[in-house]
Amino acid sequence: MSDSKPFSLKSLLTRHETVLVLVILLEVILFQALGRNFLKGANISNVFRHSVEIGLLAVAMTPVILTGGIDLSVGSMMGLCAVLFGMMVNTLGLDPWLAGVAAIGCGALGGGLNAVLITRLNLPPLIVTLGTFSLFRGLAEALTKGAESYSGFPESFLLLGNSNIGGLPAQIWVFFVVAVGIWLLVHQTTFGRSFRAIGYAAEGARYAGIPVARNTSLAYIIAGAVAGLAAVILVSRLGEARANAGIGYELLAITAVVLGGVSIFGGSGTVSGTLLGWVALAILNNGLTRISDYRIFDQPVASVARELSGLLTGLLLLAALTIGASMKALVVRRASKHSLAKTSLNPTNP
Amino acid sequence: MKRKTFIASLALLTALPFVSCSKSETKSKLTIALLPKSKGNQYFVTCEKGARAAANELGAELKFDGPINSDPAKQNEIVENWITDGVDVIVASCENKDSISTALRKAQTAGIKVVTFDADAQPDARSFFVNQATPQGIGEQLMDTAATLTGGEGEFAIVTGTLTAANLNEWIKYIKQQQAAKYPNMKLVDIKPCDDQKDKAQQEATNLLSAYPNLKAIIAVCSPGVPGAAEAVKQAGKTGAVKVLGLGLPSENKAYVKEGVTQAVILWKVEDLGYLSIMAGAAVAKGDLAPGAKEFTAGKLGKMAVAGDNIILGKPFVFTKENIDQFDF
Repeated sequence: MSDSKPFSLKSLLTRHETVLVLVILLEVILFQALGRNFLKGANISNVFRHSVEIGLLAVAMTPVILTGGIDLSVGSMMGLCAVLFGMMVNTLGLDPWLAGVAAIGCGALGGGLNAVLITRLNLPPLIVTLGTFSLFRGLAEALTKGAESYSGFPESFLLLGNSNIGGLPAQIWVFFVVAVGIWLLVHQTTFGRSFRAIGYAAEGARYAGIPVARNTSLAYIIAGAVAGLAAVILVSRLGEARANAGIGYELLAITAVVLGGVSIFGGSGTVSGTLLGWVALAILNNGLTRISDYRIFDQPVASVARELSGLLTGLLLLAALTIGASMKALVVRRASKHSLAKTSLNPTNP
Repeated sequence: MKRKTFIASLALLTALPFVSCSKSETKSKLTIALLPKSKGNQYFVTCEKGARAAANELGAELKFDGPINSDPAKQNEIVENWITDGVDVIVASCENKDSISTALRKAQTAGIKVVTFDADAQPDARSFFVNQATPQGIGEQLMDTAATLTGGEGEFAIVTGTLTAANLNEWIKYIKQQQAAKYPNMKLVDIKPCDDQKDKAQQEATNLLSAYPNLKAIIAVCSPGVPGAAEAVKQAGKTGAVKVLGLGLPSENKAYVKEGVTQAVILWKVEDLGYLSIMAGAAVAKGDLAPGAKEFTAGKLGKMAVAGDNIILGKPFVFTKENIDQFDF
């Protein structure tokens, strides 16, 4: 939207992405100074290896939220797809790569179910996906009787989750392809631009001739398919498929999206913002585990890293939103002052 | 503009892996990392206490970290972070056997020694498993204690978790064997499942008390069964007449034990389990404990037997009115 504006320091500073880049830089400097082995190749690999599933969910969640919707079912979908994948490989003897593609298909089908309920029956996305959130996880648990799990996958399949290509985790390259794909879709096609139009004003979009139902459906189907992909990557990383795969990931993904400056009401936001939000969270989660020389609550920071990262994620999110909102307010106030000054010269327009 | 920021952030991301760390580290201390199934669980907090004592004796650094929710990926991530840190030994209790094994094998490839305790990984993902108790040890200890309490005579019943639980059935098998071999005057009259619920255990125990008026003892082999059976005996006014014993945490049974309703709670000394696990890990790292060893010295616990790749903590411990106050787990 700001593509046409001339470059200026003010507009750069008010951009949400700039704030996030600064946050990320601050995190990197802080964790490198306080922690051990933070900027070490192996650790940077871990940062991305451990968060790539949430990153996938977050980029795929972006179009959904842009349309003014939400998808709470993606974490549960990961559990279901992981179990289905495990069954296809272990019980049906399917090749893991073929089963992986099938699992992505299952994810797309689940996303399709969300889409039908939301666009055909006009049910609120929050309620529909809250329902499928329980449904998918319940199905995964029922299929495994809550206890069974699948393992013993071929070594070549486990390489996807555990090896490095070009100094980075193998799965991060898959993530790049998906992220660039969704970025192109959202920002470079009319199809993708319609997501924001729908989120901004669905009725308006409909009058403008946008096939609202079809385009909204696509966002949910993509979210489902990407959840399937995330499940396959998680199973490859762990070497085991269980019904509780991806538990709680949907909220982490939504956090990354919102931190990235995407409006939860839809209509505005960018994929690059989501990516930066995700990176900020991924670094925070890992960085805290690096700090073992400093103590908090009488314990090394690293041993309470998981508790702290929850706390700091909340603070970071609230701080980013507050800074964003106050920047906007500042700009609006300046602009209105400016225009008032102009209008006062013109007595016909009070 | 938007694209500019996007490209700038991408460039930043790709540059990160090539920045190297120049922080120097002085490594002289042995670093041992202890991984519980979950961090907040009182059982593992008690393990950590024993582990700390062992680490202090050894002059080693102890890292203790574990999941705080049920995300199955968390244990793996903790292990992978420890690999980056270059710890010397990882001592793990495994929540998901197969997935944690993937990470533990990686640790072994990186030259880190791996020992499991409490719940084992795949055998090729660790060098030794510190086993808290064998099914035989548990079964025999339960039967022996029941016989001591009843004077070796009379009817007894068992409250179990579910009739299909493999580990519980294994313990019951050894209870039966021990009874047949050593206590011919005792008779097992019934086995009731409580679905691992205290209420259900109480209900089943009440039924047992009315169905078998000559009952002398109830053995509970699942932890909710012990307080459940105790409550039933107490409400039936048979405190002392029907002995209650079983496997469980001392803290959950303290009140009943002090009232004299429950006579004995059986469990391994959890603190010792943590202590032994750290000692075993350190011994493996120092080369004092290698495959094929028959025994090794574990600090204050003395010489411990090694059976294959299992290190056995020893006979389960009996908590009674006299000693239960000394334990807080």
